[in-house]
Amino acid sequence: MGNRMRKAALILLFCAAAYSQLLFVSVVAARGLGRLIHKKNSLYHRISVYRSGPVMTLQFGRRRLVQMQSQVDLDNLRQHMLEYTELAFCGLLYEPEPKKMLVLGLGGGVIPREMHHYLPETEIDVAEIDPEVPLIARRFFGFRQDDKLRVHVADGRMFIKRQLGRDPVPKYDIVILDAFNSDYIPFHLMTKEFLEEVKGVLAEDGVVIANVFYSNRLFDAELRTFLAVFGRCQVFLGGYSDNAMLAAPGPTGRMLTVKEAVSRAKILQRKHKLFFDMLTVAKRLRAGTRPDSHAKVLTDDQAPVNWLRTQKRRRSPRHVP
Amino acid sequence: MRAGHSELMQTRLKKSRRKLRTAAIILIACGCGWFVMELEVLGVRVLAPYFGSAVYVVMGSVIGVFLLSLSAGYMLGGWLSKKANSKRTLGVNLMAAGAWLCAMPFFIEPVCDGIFNFGLDEKWGSLLASFVLFGAPTVLLGTASPTAVRWLTRQASDSGLNAGLVLAFSTAASFAGCVVTAFYLVLLSMRLTICTSGVVLAALGGAILLQAAFQAGKGPGSEAEGKTEEQLPESRYDFEEEKV
Repeated sequence: MGNRMRKAALILLFCAAAYSQLLFVSVVAARGLGRLIHKKNSLYHRISVYRSGPVMTLQFGRRRLVQMQSQVDLDNLRQHMLEYTELAFCGLLYEPEPKKMLVLGLGGGVIPREMHHYLPETEIDVAEIDPEVPLIARRFFGFRQDDKLRVHVADGRMFIKRQLGRDPVPKYDIVILDAFNSDYIPFHLMTKEFLEEVKGVLAEDGVVIANVFYSNRLFDAELRTFLAVFGRCQVFLGGYSDNAMLAAPGPTGRMLTVKEAVSRAKILQRKHKLFFDMLTVAKRLRAGTRPDSHAKVLTDDQAPVNWLRTQKRRRSPRHVP
Repeated sequence: MRAGHSELMQTRLKKSRRKLRTAAIILIACGCGWFVMELEVLGVRVLAPYFGSAVYVVMGSVIGVFLLSLSAGYMLGGWLSKKANSKRTLGVNLMAAGAWLCAMPFFIEPVCDGIFNFGLDEKWGSLLASFVLFGAPTVLLGTASPTAVRWLTRQASDSGLNAGLVLAFSTAASFAGCVVTAFYLVLLSMRLTICTSGVVLAALGGAILLQAAFQAGKGPGSEAEGKTEEQLPESRYDFEEEKV
């Protein structure tokens, strides 16, 4: 009897040790993001908001340090915490004075909020599928709507389809595609047919910007799809993140050389008193990036996005002249 | 001695033929189970470009329509299984479902665009679109299971066992269809996958029709399959054989 008791105690002790180990590991993993202050299961995601001092982090899905939807320093809203929100400003290099702008995907609302801050006269429409996200952006991330900055709760593709059905069709000078779920961009927001619809709401001299990840083969397919629809596409590669911006100018828009981009960035920097360094954004332009020759156009019919995303890119686009 | 031997051989032959027949019937039910789930998984993908990936489309419209269509299909299948020429009916049903799938890629766009332009939102629009696109083939596929149960059943006391067998196998095949489609077939062209499934389904239906025609050619007695078997004392025969 005593023997059995001892065995049971040992097993219990072992379990407790293992459990505390697990706890310890998860606590260490979470430290980077701070304390979990809000959790919500919405229709689409498991939304988590973390707080570390004044820094708020938004995450969809399970806890991973590598992928954050948004990060905001509430003490300094002008500070970009993640590289992609800075890179998204590259649209202004092509179209310095946009009258109308469309952003798909709200997240913490950093991109539309900062665009609105620097360009208060620009009408900005945001399409966000999850009705919970605008509430969270407002409550935790300092995001405010007004008559120039409006959030529409709708699937991005449906929103654009509806805009196409209006008379006259509203034309946007800059369209920023930044709709992500916990994993990546939903497939129906990457295909040729979708980009054709985007082209329909794009001003002649406007520009489409798409936030993508570039270390996998899906990047090539996306670039190939952009080239198939818009004919031209340039890439701004992230310096310390996996994010890249695809920039495709409309039919009468023009492509930029790095030199032009830099000189336009200097003008923007002065004019809007940008808090971040627009010059580094301009220097991230890789004008000659071409997709891998095997990459195929993504269509509504065939878009093996999940598979391509798990395949590493053969060459880093950095090495392309 | 010799006569007894050949009789034994004949009963063995009969038994193995019956096993084959059971396997074939279950295979039909499995095929239908597979294609229902394949279509359901692809259905989400078919509708996403037109109605988005909102929860309504995925959870509500597609799954809802499949369940309702299946229920209609079970009802219809049960009713049809009582008919004398149930074999021919099922063959025609499967061929029709196959033809529908083959044609589907060509009317996805007009149907979805038409419904969207009609002014329906993603909820009712996607519901109507999935009814139009997937309703008919799913009803037809649903007729297979009750018919298969009828074909397998020789005595009333076996009916539950046979229903369980058919449901278990066809649902397991549904699981396989679900997983294989979601993991692998989505990588391929969606239109091509649906078309190919249509061809396979039509071939399955064609095989059933051929078999029915072949049996009808053998004699008028075996044409009305269900009825004749009921009256045959085969089961008693088996029972005696086992005792020996």
